[in-house]
Amino acid sequence: MKMKNNKKSGIDLVTVSFIAPAFLFFTLFIIVPTIASVYYSFTSWDGLNSAVPFVGISNYKEIFTSARFGNALKNTMILTAFISVLENAMALMLALIVDHVRWGKNFFRSAFYVPVLISGIVSGFIWKIMYNYNFGAVNTIFKEIGLGHLTKDWLGSPSLALAMVGVVLVWKGAGYYMIIYLASLQSVPTDVVEAASIDGASPLQRFRAITLPLISGAFTINFTLSLINGLKVFDQISVMTDGGPGFTTETIVYLLYKVGFNEGRQGFGTAVGIVLLFLILILNGIQQSILKKREVQL
Amino acid sequence: MKKKLIASVLCTYMVGTMLAGCSGNASTGTTAADAKANQSEAKTEAPSSVAVQKTSIVTAPTELTFIFADGDEGAKASMNEIVNRFNKTYPDISIKIQPGNGGAYNEFLKTKESVGEFPDVMEMRDTPVYVRADMLEPLPDDIVTLFNSTVPFDGKTYTAPIAGENTQGIIYNKKYFDENGFTEPATYDEFLDLCQKIKEKGDMSPLVIGGQDIWHIGFWFYKAYNDQVLSQDPDFIKHCYEGTKNFSDPSIAASFEELQKIFQYGQDGWVSTPDAQITTFLVSNMSAMMYSGTHMFSQIKAADPNFSVGWFPVPSPDGKTRLVGGGGAGGLAISAEAAKDPNKKAAAEEFIRFFFQPENYKVYCDKLNAIPSTKALPDLNADSVMMEVIEAAGKADDLSVMWNGRIGDNELPPDFRNFMYKTTIEVIQGQRDIPSACEELNKTWQVSMQSFNPVKSSK
Repeated sequence: MKMKNNKKSGIDLVTVSFIAPAFLFFTLFIIVPTIASVYYSFTSWDGLNSAVPFVGISNYKEIFTSARFGNALKNTMILTAFISVLENAMALMLALIVDHVRWGKNFFRSAFYVPVLISGIVSGFIWKIMYNYNFGAVNTIFKEIGLGHLTKDWLGSPSLALAMVGVVLVWKGAGYYMIIYLASLQSVPTDVVEAASIDGASPLQRFRAITLPLISGAFTINFTLSLINGLKVFDQISVMTDGGPGFTTETIVYLLYKVGFNEGRQGFGTAVGIVLLFLILILNGIQQSILKKREVQL
Repeated sequence: MKKKLIASVLCTYMVGTMLAGCSGNASTGTTAADAKANQSEAKTEAPSSVAVQKTSIVTAPTELTFIFADGDEGAKASMNEIVNRFNKTYPDISIKIQPGNGGAYNEFLKTKESVGEFPDVMEMRDTPVYVRADMLEPLPDDIVTLFNSTVPFDGKTYTAPIAGENTQGIIYNKKYFDENGFTEPATYDEFLDLCQKIKEKGDMSPLVIGGQDIWHIGFWFYKAYNDQVLSQDPDFIKHCYEGTKNFSDPSIAASFEELQKIFQYGQDGWVSTPDAQITTFLVSNMSAMMYSGTHMFSQIKAADPNFSVGWFPVPSPDGKTRLVGGGGAGGLAISAEAAKDPNKKAAAEEFIRFFFQPENYKVYCDKLNAIPSTKALPDLNADSVMMEVIEAAGKADDLSVMWNGRIGDNELPPDFRNFMYKTTIEVIQGQRDIPSACEELNKTWQVSMQSFNPVKSSK
């Protein structure tokens, strides 16, 4: 196809016309709001009134001195670490199962992926009902099999609630990461594995010395995604615990929502969002630098 | 900008939470005493058919969006019924009900506003916030005069009170009480003794508490707060704004202590029990009593038509009876934006008039066991237990609006009540001691006051 170039300016009009819609959309709905939110974070805007009073850095001062933000940060970090590790461990295990089964590969792959297709809200509701102290399936099963002493108020106990939300996130997310691990596992050259096998390497040795290094790229992707998802958890907390009991499951995103929408403090909520953005950038940077070093290219 | 984007996403989440919870206390308008006094005024029989088409009041077909807190099944059924009647009566006006997320209604409404989907007519609870933002249209005088009492802002009334305040008390299993010789307690100590006796008997928990919905905790909190704080200082919140009092006040600590005493009689797992489940506990003989509003009567009846319901108010430790009642600021409201369109304004006002016509309003009051707020009383199907509540409210030593329903100098900063309720749960569960809870409340209050201080702004 003959390109229409503006020779004087060197602009490729066809290319520009292809890029422009996406560029405009992205700029209008992502870039501009992001920049605007930086401004709002220095205001005490309530989200309804047209007045947007400028308050300088007082929102940020409050964030870094507030016990509630500290608590939300702690909860977010615990939850993120919990789901990053468990989601990836579970996903890798499922991927290995699917990769090695002789029959029903498609069935297992689909079955493990089903929770991913359920919305966060719906999965939250399902598990909330299952965790119910008096009528839920979890405690009922414990009672039925004679382990009644193990019954707990899973979402009502301050020491358990956060972990129980984490379990739901792992259950829901593991299938997604499994697909990435599976694709990576299937790209490991069989000749290298066979050569190691002929050399007498045990299955565990082959996995540790060959498979793991060769799928380290998948580790980088999955840990990055689970880190970001962990930091952004909202819907399950909204449905299952509303940040409670007390504040024991209130995460940064949930705090942002509560102060921004319930307490009418959009300015402060936006400042929390900006802090979260930097938190994601910093943690992701650290994680990338660690994981990238371990990646192996064939 | 970004807030809109976030709001869009959150709105999607919110739609998914429509199943959650139950609505909070019903809105307001009249005291039980007023209602009783006016009972003889205008009792009206429900007609066999109400879908008689009326002359057009709009110049073109008009559509209105309507949102209400639909977490309660009774509210949902009655609102649907009244809207259907209206749509049949006025063929050129169409009221479209939108799901209202009863569990977190206030934040849902704010989210709808953020994404530009503020309804034309709505059940309004955070009235002061929206009035200050110029988002509500004042109601015409002929609507305002339908009610025994309304709450005006600077001389204008923006809400038509759907019902009198939801009077709370102990709803109990009468059959169980009779079988075991338990009687209604006359004093606070007798109430605690009764709880202790049921606990010792061991066949069911004395109380069922729906702690997962923090507004349910609000029922209990307000009882203790009313007993301990408001009994000493009815303007406690105003004094906190002025800086002459704070949440380290001994009366606040006493409220927490009262709640700690009472909550030891709650069922196992009360923190994670939703309000929607407490009826099951009562009718399944898992708990003997619940503390809730009159809206529960119809839910109990629906769950077990043969269940024998009893009711009594919980006396305060000082021997007085303090109940929730009287008029508040919530109710049906019209969006100021919608009112710019003359047809929408006329249709919305007509809908409110229609809603409070005795034959239509009866549907709402009967379904929710609501105390009517109108001068013209519908012919209620109230049973004896409901009449007992109305009588008790009339005789109470003190009848007040919930602390979060007040406006003016005693108006709470947005969402401070939720912070209080969550802190209360922390104290009751032992996650936090009372002094540290009071300290945290003080800190949060100071922050909240920076953006909301009606005392300062009125000076």
